[in-house]
Amino acid sequence: MITFIQFLITGLRLGSVYALIALGYTMVYGIIKLINFAHGDFIMVGGYTLFFTIPILMNMGVPGWLAVLPAILICACVGMLVELLAYRPVRKTGNNLTCLITAIAMSFVLENLAQAIPAIGPDPKVPYTLFSKTYSIAGVAVSQATIITILVSAAIMVALYLFTQKARIGCAMRCVSEDKEAATLMGINVNHTILITFGIGAGLAAVAALMYIAQYPKVYTTMGATLGIYAFVAAVLGGIGSLPGAMLGGLMIGIVQSAANTYISSSMSDTFVYLILIVVLMLRPAGILGKNVGEKV
Amino acid sequence: MKKKKLLSLLLAASMTLSLAACGGSSDKEEASGNDTVVEEGGGTITLGMIGPLTGSLAVYGTHIEKGVKLAIEEINAAGGVTLSDGTYQMAVETKDDQGDSTECVNAINALISDGVGLVVGSATSGCTSAITSIANSEGVVLITPSGTADSLTTTMDYVFRTCFRDSFQGELAAQYALDEGYTKVGIVYCSADTYSAGLRDAFVAACGKLGLEIVAEESVATMTEVDYTNQFNKMVSSGAELVFTPFYYDVMGPYLVPQARSAGFTGVLLGADGVDNTETTIPAGADLSVYNDVMFVNHYATELATSDVSANFVASYQAKYGETPNNFDALAYDAVYVYKAAMEACGSADAESVQAALADTSVVYDSTCGTFSFDDTGTPIKNGVLMGYTYTEGDDAVSKVAIESLSLS
Amino acid sequence: MKHTQTKKRYLINFLALIVVFAVITLMGQLGGGTMKLKIAPSIWQCSYLIIMAASLNLVLGYLGQLSLGHCGFMAVGAYAAALISLAFQRAGFYTDKAGPAFLLVLLISIIVAGIAAALLGLLVGIPALRLKGDYLAIITLGFGMIIVNVINNLPFCGQQGLSQGSASSALYANGLGFSNDQKMQYLWLAALVVILCMTVMFMFVRSKYGRAIRAIRDNEIAAAASGINVSYYKVLTFTISAFFAGITGALYACCNAALATSSFAFTNGSILNSVFIVVMVVVGGMGSLTGSVIAAVVLFLLNYTIKNGAWVTALPSLLQNVFTYPMLVYSIALIIVIMFRPKGIMGSREFALCDIPRWPGWIRGYFTSRAANKAAKKEAKVHE
Repeated sequence: MITFIQFLITGLRLGSVYALIALGYTMVYGIIKLINFAHGDFIMVGGYTLFFTIPILMNMGVPGWLAVLPAILICACVGMLVELLAYRPVRKTGNNLTCLITAIAMSFVLENLAQAIPAIGPDPKVPYTLFSKTYSIAGVAVSQATIITILVSAAIMVALYLFTQKARIGCAMRCVSEDKEAATLMGINVNHTILITFGIGAGLAAVAALMYIAQYPKVYTTMGATLGIYAFVAAVLGGIGSLPGAMLGGLMIGIVQSAANTYISSSMSDTFVYLILIVVLMLRPAGILGKNVGEKV
Repeated sequence: MKKKKLLSLLLAASMTLSLAACGGSSDKEEASGNDTVVEEGGGTITLGMIGPLTGSLAVYGTHIEKGVKLAIEEINAAGGVTLSDGTYQMAVETKDDQGDSTECVNAINALISDGVGLVVGSATSGCTSAITSIANSEGVVLITPSGTADSLTTTMDYVFRTCFRDSFQGELAAQYALDEGYTKVGIVYCSADTYSAGLRDAFVAACGKLGLEIVAEESVATMTEVDYTNQFNKMVSSGAELVFTPFYYDVMGPYLVPQARSAGFTGVLLGADGVDNTETTIPAGADLSVYNDVMFVNHYATELATSDVSANFVASYQAKYGETPNNFDALAYDAVYVYKAAMEACGSADAESVQAALADTSVVYDSTCGTFSFDDTGTPIKNGVLMGYTYTEGDDAVSKVAIESLSLS
Repeated sequence: MKHTQTKKRYLINFLALIVVFAVITLMGQLGGGTMKLKIAPSIWQCSYLIIMAASLNLVLGYLGQLSLGHCGFMAVGAYAAALISLAFQRAGFYTDKAGPAFLLVLLISIIVAGIAAALLGLLVGIPALRLKGDYLAIITLGFGMIIVNVINNLPFCGQQGLSQGSASSALYANGLGFSNDQKMQYLWLAALVVILCMTVMFMFVRSKYGRAIRAIRDNEIAAAASGINVSYYKVLTFTISAFFAGITGALYACCNAALATSSFAFTNGSILNSVFIVVMVVVGGMGSLTGSVIAAVVLFLLNYTIKNGAWVTALPSLLQNVFTYPMLVYSIALIIVIMFRPKGIMGSREFALCDIPRWPGWIRGYFTSRAANKAAKKEAKVHE
């Protein structure tokens, strides 16, 4: 029984981080249908910003987690810059696949640029540990960071949901995601909307970075690669563009990984994560909470 | 329209340039003008260096590069290498293999075609195993600073190393566990990493020989894995008193040790040389008491050192780079000095004679890890040192201490 | 009239292939430092990149399905070929690596590698191809990851086996791992395999099967309505594509003499991974096999010369610093190419020798159409 609770908690710990990352991912993905390989690298940008700003804030006597504000700002700027410099010009001339390639290239650009900056370099850096308290529940230790991550993800999910349903820009986003041409006809500035989406998505990456380093305190320049893939998997598993789906997908992947670790084989856990993904997609081809849109002839 | 596109390109380019300009003040000066490797009297000997300088393994390669450059700088400042026909300065031609074996093959081929005969590289066993055959068949001496897989040097005459081989470290670790009276040991390792899996194989074999019972064995799928809690839950429930953890310091510090402790594991965590420098990756604000009882087999300890090479190295490294050296720095530094000693012994920088000089197993080299000589496969015979981290409650600090010298009984 | 022209085209292409093959074979006999150290290994690397890109083009360009796990099939091929060659050696079938027995083993392992990958492709394709678009992309990514993860954990070929020092030196000493000299000696083999594979792929896309899969790409429902068995053709194409990917795996094992699963991952530091194969296909032009060939060679040379090119040292020192980050330069070059030529180098056209005399006209046409576009846009702006 203890093992069961333990694996569940480890799974939640991993899954909550994946969920938070997937939320930002699915925002962008849902609107321009772009597998944004650079999203993981936005987390890297956020991680390094936090690494540098947390000690400064702590010295000033301000709680360290407030460093998330400059991190959000910087990540949002980087996200919008990437959209302006790379994605927008390519989107104008190309198709989905050329955008995909730009995203791949952008991911490599960000990783290598980070390595080129002397203050960052290739050495991994260990940021300040936030929320390191642990609570004991039924004899099992749960870290404060895990609980906060789950709460934050849930809050962000609800906020984003309300934002996309109620706010003007949010409605514009949904409109753009359904039909770009029609959106233009309705007087929505499509490029502007996409830019804002990138800003929000990248800003969420900064929040994800905060919670990630609170649980797994290490930042390095290629950290985004694996995280980006997991976020992609989580977003698709839950259903593309569905916010609750992203959250569900993220938690599910974390728990499956942890269960495979505990009950089957620890070095094969990746295999089981992808097997679950495949099985789910076989049964529900549009993800768990995705809408299966029929094709019009 | 067009203008905007161009503008965006220009912006991107200028951003890149400015960043790279401030970042890459890396030494390019040696890169040019090494067509003639050995010139008459007062010339330069160019070493080749291969390592992952960019990409996900860049941390290893850049440290090897730092070690090599420091050694070369020192040698040149001290007057260079004295060969039979005069003294020579040393230079290095670095090649980036990005941690990929194909690129590594391209790199060594490019070095050979530039006329380089002495190469330091590469960082990982995987990459190095792709180039040992080329070094051997083309007659180029290769010293790997950190390729630990046993077989790298066994069949290849031109391949040497300055690090331990996996089986030696695994045996030392098992021997230690036996000496301390542990009977139940566990293993947590990474199945997809040659270093980790190699050490695990060696440790398992040694345990079998020494009669230690392995009560639990868990693994992770990649070296980028972040969560080790489940693995240690199993260790705890299996009753292991000591867990062998062949990982690098960047996994031990932030992830493995705190998670192992919070899963309730209180015994000894025993690692290999990769664990050295864990003190640099302990997160600020973390509970330091968890790092007590973390031990590892290492090449050297400054306190136990018989020669002052080690202390000198640490001091000059800190003076040049402003940080503590790690094992990659030290082993790469050693590789250059081994080349220097071999070249001076045979009086030539020619690969064939250097190989013959290195193959002489009676020569003793002074290194940062004390003195060693090569065995007949080209692996150094050195003693291990058991080091550990201890936590002192009074000043709330973790210190690295040398515990004892290890040798196989 | 039309018929004789086609015949003439085939004849010219056939002759050109023979010339290419002869030149490469001769190059292998020539010897010389640069040849052995730079050109021959480059030709070997290009050979597997070319087949890899072209085989993915069958799925991505002709069938219109995005697969992000193509290197998984290559991994299967590579490990299958390596294990077979080692098995033959243990059975005492060949002792030296120059004799005809070794050549036979080489051919067998190449073919078996292809078949092993094709079987897996069939296994993956049947469930995967029920999905479309990004869902298919992620499921192929998943299969690619699973393949790598499973190989890692197989005791006889995972990290504890072939990829680690012991067995990789075994692969070099006993199996099909080549030294530089053998790469020269068997240069003709690389050329032959590429030419054969490309020819078969050309024949496939020009056949009724090729027309069928292009119909599926353009409109699946219409294709189904006109009597094309969509699932059958999808799985068939996927399997064939996997077959050729398996063959490239065998070439890779020959060329590298050391196998590590990280080389076949989804992404990694170098240009051989599932992601960059997709890049090659798109840069070359989706639906153009010759485009894939050109893109594979161009992107390989770009990557190679960024690191080893002599011209890099001629650049100003500021730029040289950028060039210490090869992937940075590579990615920026990629973005620029994609911005200005989104259709890829060849679009969906094929390169044909007979067309060369017509190039000046095409180039002129390209610029006039650009100018016309510009004028049209200007006019549109005025109207706004």
